[in-house]
Amino acid sequence: MLQYILRRTVVGLLMLLALTVLIFTLLRLTPGDPIDAYINPSVPMSAADLVALRTRLGLDQPLPVQYFAWLGAALTGDFGYSIQRGGEPVLPLVLGRIGPTILLMFSGLAISVVVGIAAGILAAVRRNQFADLSLSTAAFVGISSPAFLTALLGLYVFAVVLRWVPAGGMLTPGAPFSVGDLLAHLILPAALLSIGHGALIMRYMRSSLLEVLSQDYVRTARAKGVREFWVIVKHAVRNALLPVITVIGSTIGIAIGGAIFIESVFDWPGMGLLMINAVVRRDYPVIMCATLLTGACVILVNLLTDIAYAAVDPRIKVA
Amino acid sequence: MHRRNFGRLLAAAAFAFASATAMVSTPVLAQEEKTIVGGFDVGPGGFPGNFNPLTATAGFTWLNTYFEPLVIYTSDLSKLDSALASGFTASEDNLSYTFKLVDTKWHDGKPFTSADVKFTLELAKNADSGSIFAARLADIASIETPDEHTAVVKLSKPNSAFLSVLSQVMMLPEHALSTIDIKEVAKSQWWSTKPVGTGPFKFVKYVSDQYVEMAAYDGYRGGKPKVNRLINRYFANAAAAVSALSAGEIQFTFAEPDDAKTFKGNDNFRIIEGDSYVVNYIGFNHKAGIWSDLRVRQAVMHAIDRNAIISSLFGGAAKLANCGYVAPRLVPNGLDDYAYDPEKAKELLEEAGWDDINGDKAIPWLTYYNTPQVANVMAAIQAMLAQVGVNVVPRALDVPSYNGIVRSEKFEEFPLVYAGLQNGPNPASLNIGLNAAQIPPAGNNIMRVEMPQLTEALNTAMAETDPSKADAKWQQVCKEMNAQLPWSPMWVASRYGVVSSKLKDFFWTPAPAGGPFVSHPEKWDIAP
Repeated sequence: MLQYILRRTVVGLLMLLALTVLIFTLLRLTPGDPIDAYINPSVPMSAADLVALRTRLGLDQPLPVQYFAWLGAALTGDFGYSIQRGGEPVLPLVLGRIGPTILLMFSGLAISVVVGIAAGILAAVRRNQFADLSLSTAAFVGISSPAFLTALLGLYVFAVVLRWVPAGGMLTPGAPFSVGDLLAHLILPAALLSIGHGALIMRYMRSSLLEVLSQDYVRTARAKGVREFWVIVKHAVRNALLPVITVIGSTIGIAIGGAIFIESVFDWPGMGLLMINAVVRRDYPVIMCATLLTGACVILVNLLTDIAYAAVDPRIKVA
Repeated sequence: MHRRNFGRLLAAAAFAFASATAMVSTPVLAQEEKTIVGGFDVGPGGFPGNFNPLTATAGFTWLNTYFEPLVIYTSDLSKLDSALASGFTASEDNLSYTFKLVDTKWHDGKPFTSADVKFTLELAKNADSGSIFAARLADIASIETPDEHTAVVKLSKPNSAFLSVLSQVMMLPEHALSTIDIKEVAKSQWWSTKPVGTGPFKFVKYVSDQYVEMAAYDGYRGGKPKVNRLINRYFANAAAAVSALSAGEIQFTFAEPDDAKTFKGNDNFRIIEGDSYVVNYIGFNHKAGIWSDLRVRQAVMHAIDRNAIISSLFGGAAKLANCGYVAPRLVPNGLDDYAYDPEKAKELLEEAGWDDINGDKAIPWLTYYNTPQVANVMAAIQAMLAQVGVNVVPRALDVPSYNGIVRSEKFEEFPLVYAGLQNGPNPASLNIGLNAAQIPPAGNNIMRVEMPQLTEALNTAMAETDPSKADAKWQQVCKEMNAQLPWSPMWVASRYGVVSSKLKDFFWTPAPAGGPFVSHPEKWDIAP
């Protein structure tokens, strides 16, 4: 197992290096650079001012020089300065966004896991009954609804019309910190983020449990007189969870993508909002650092999922 | 437990979840404190996340709540007024400007003096500081400080735009910034952690990507502000800010025209409509090889029913432009109004031999505007031009991509653009986009306009520092633009802000780059 983890870690590091090259190259292939993002096309700015700005930011250097300069500094923990934020150091800026994103992502994931598994179990044990049909319909709607639609609709209904929750942000500006305030801002984006994943988990849980419920050992357990609750919980659900865990792990990447979108709709100050702003403004140092950290997170979570998978099912051996 | 117990369990979980949600209520700010929260950096006049006025291409509405320039535009943007300079005079040869300074203090209690003026201008004209004003202040030869309340700025040559540029140069405290190496000034955390200004509000804190908080500056020379705090909340886009305004979380924001309309007739809000000071135009790339014949450019003008577009797609909230300006003082009589006449457009194209020049080949038509309104406008123009045989294909890009393309030499990629250029309050703003001397890489004449008579008219107007004579010179520029059509001028559209009716004595106007302009933030108030 240790050898497996080490090998996966080395591969992960190489993937990260490849990712930096890829992102760096792709960024430079896109039209426009930070200076172009700086120029408001409607506002006249002299070329001399722009040339000076380009030189100050080091953008006049050849691309390989820029890349290796960045890589060399990054290896020492210096990810440079944000171009569009008056020279704010990038690493603290990006690290400061990880917390809000994790909070949002895992709140959404927690809701989707709890609701998805519970709904999946209910749908399976009430197969073809009203509960199953209505939950399955809801799941299909959840899976098919584009995130932008649910997010904007949710924002409009719950924040603008009903005013149950704030329309965006993570905390009320200027108000002292309180958990209630944080939760008030968190509940809607997290709930909306959970819709797609919850529906997916529900579908997987339902089909997996249905398959398990028809197994001989479940029938044997029932024949032995074990109460139905324990048959389901101890015998069926535990085994049915195996493919669901894989789904949960593999959707972490999707959850990050979803969080990015939700963050931009709800002005949630996480990695997603930071990255969107950075891309729009061609803030290369921020994009590089944020992509690197996001990539590292995805690789790490995938590794942990594989380990968890092996731990849950001892039959799985790692080479 | 039977199967039905799962249903009960689920119902109980749902109830607990709903209860927890219901128990969470949005906290309100302390009642005794008056706080105005707004989206002051939303829209084209904003620059969220930028705290350094020397690197600001926009965002001056907010910056001006705590920093102040020497001179500032009046609230109607018609002329320059005094700010930190209580008065100013220019020498007869317009080579020397004397500024008498107000008696005031920085937020940290230190006095504001002419040394600060000298320090700021020297910092602003030095590109090492990251200042984007360096080239525009290059004509400053020296800054003298005969006493603490007088600063004399001497120019190497007359510059009609000098005072206008100066209105965006916020005065900075020498005592706080002089210890920082000039090359490190732009990267300094001072700007976003402890900036010190002379304005009515003083900086409290910046919560990254969320908001900036200000507190009333009791010692403000214009009187203590009526509200205790001013908060500038950041939004990913204008629509999100409008949602927050509708939800009652903020009291002001810029709004796109379609969003502004939704507040019409709502007593809880007031819509502010103002001149954008941006002339929209269809830009012909003069290096693309298909627009050289004046008759082709005239045909484009005659093919477009601008009045119908203004009436139906702008709801009448735009002024027809027949040159770069719409301000009556800058527009001479006798301009060709290029009335909608598709038959004439066809004749002109035929005379010019359009079939041989381009025919019905698709012409990429780039823009950096990404609003539904502009998409509709461009679709309407596309249909009108198609009727006369000009096949344009609109393509909306993000700003960096647009700038990257139009500043390149790949002329075939941008034969035509739909863009805007600031045309006021100082009419000299257009020079940078039309003067032959400003063709990239030298300048910002991205459409590569090379028209000697127009350039001469621009040079003459730029050199005129006497305000009483300047308008006539700019009228000549207008006349040349109208006759030669370096672009197809379209209109100057209105821009909007929406304010909660709770705000009292609040002033805002959609000035280019956010101004600055006289807005008296110290007088802004909010009803309980």
